[in-house]
Amino acid sequence: MELILATGLIVFKVALLIAMLLLLPLPLTWLERKIAGHMQQRMGPMRVGWHGLLQPMADGIKLLTKEDHIPAEADRLLFKMAPILALAPPFVVFVAIPFGESVSVLGNEISLYVSNMNVALLFVFAVLGIEVYGVIFGGWAANSKYAVLGSLRTCAQMISYEIPMGFAVIGVVMLAQSMSLLEIVRAQADVWNIVYQPIGFFVFFVAGLAEAQRIPFDLAEAEGDLGAGFHTEYSGIRFALFMVSEYAIVLLVSVLAVILFFGGWNGALIPLPPLLWFALKVAFFVYMFIWFRFTFPRYRYDQLMAIGWKVLLPLSMANIIITGLVFL
Amino acid sequence: MSHAQDRIGAWIGWAFFADLAKALALTFGYMFSKPVTMQYPDKEKWLPYSRYRGHHFLKRDEEGEIKCVACELCARICPCDCIEVVPYEDEKGKRHPAKFEIDTARCLFCGLCEDACPADAIALGQEYEFSSFSSRELVIGRDDLLAKPGKAVTGGSVVAARLSVEPKVLVETGGRQGYNWWRNIRRR
Repeated sequence: MELILATGLIVFKVALLIAMLLLLPLPLTWLERKIAGHMQQRMGPMRVGWHGLLQPMADGIKLLTKEDHIPAEADRLLFKMAPILALAPPFVVFVAIPFGESVSVLGNEISLYVSNMNVALLFVFAVLGIEVYGVIFGGWAANSKYAVLGSLRTCAQMISYEIPMGFAVIGVVMLAQSMSLLEIVRAQADVWNIVYQPIGFFVFFVAGLAEAQRIPFDLAEAEGDLGAGFHTEYSGIRFALFMVSEYAIVLLVSVLAVILFFGGWNGALIPLPPLLWFALKVAFFVYMFIWFRFTFPRYRYDQLMAIGWKVLLPLSMANIIITGLVFL
Repeated sequence: MSHAQDRIGAWIGWAFFADLAKALALTFGYMFSKPVTMQYPDKEKWLPYSRYRGHHFLKRDEEGEIKCVACELCARICPCDCIEVVPYEDEKGKRHPAKFEIDTARCLFCGLCEDACPADAIALGQEYEFSSFSSRELVIGRDDLLAKPGKAVTGGSVVAARLSVEPKVLVETGGRQGYNWWRNIRRR
């Protein structure tokens, strides 16, 4: 009986997680378009629903009913696999992410995470590394030069930014003496890691921007010079899957930034429910992503590579050395 | 401040991304500024200034009689030859147009017909929404020209609009103040 209950709880949590990740892009697209509009002194979507609130619904229906086009010369199997491969890793990663300690429902303590791995951070980065396959397969299978160029760029970009990103969080692991995200947050109960690890956070956030392929590092889908990059040939629901995965990664990087550097659900000054604190911090980082998108121009490709290898990598290594020296 | 201090300040600014922060502050400020766009055609639309040269209309005098005396000066001066006037004489012996056709598909809205008219009978109004799928529908006859809305007293303002496919959506101008469109554009 107990086993069935525990299994049921895990299934329920996973279902909730999937529903959340699939539904969050709807308000996020609306928010992104609204913020873009107001930053450019226009209104943004206004016609569907109150202040365009139902616009994502209309977009979703449009994408679902559109023709699912596969180019004649495309590698059909890879072409169909790519969106799923791009979508799965960000969803899988969220299994290891804690959203809080626990809440009591009807007298039972229910933890706010699916699993508390002791190598959660390693798991996150390992699974996130698979993400690049979806992009490469998508670009390769479409048999279009724009798509191939876009996926090549993405590939190089993701590989060169995963290294500084991984190095940047080592400082955090050293401080918490654990790779479990839960332990990392508990270690920040008094002082947030951003105080000790400003360089680490900077490197992590810049690399995260590149990882999520957002402006100023969105060379993979540079609209101006590559059509739409690796998903140029995708349409309808497959394109929507790529979009969902992009938003999931934006969310993931925000969540990771909050957990690793901004104290997770530990509040400051104002006593609020831990989950609300967490949501507020994540919302701020998601807003940062959108804010950056409509402020900064795109980096040139060689600049992107130079930042990755010549600035972020030495910085993250220096961060590790300094943290280690302080510990000695 | 000395030159060296200036240089040091610039370096500190560079190290802490002062330029990027400035850009972010600017876009953040703009996010709370009033939009300069109009919600055309759902809610608002632009009523042009009264000097605007839109769709032609024919005027009536106090007795409600058409002012035009069918002198055909407008047809003569028209650079694209799009006005066709056929005169007739009514019972009082006055000359009026039996046919007054303007091909607005050909018209270039120069306003020369308005200048040439000795009887102040034709003018170019503020209406600008008269696109059509057939160029034949753009040939406007005498009675339609008489029925067109005249010049509004105010102009250069945003007025209420609604999305409609009906041929005559009249512009309401009463009591609305002129609207300075440039007011909302922020300048440093």
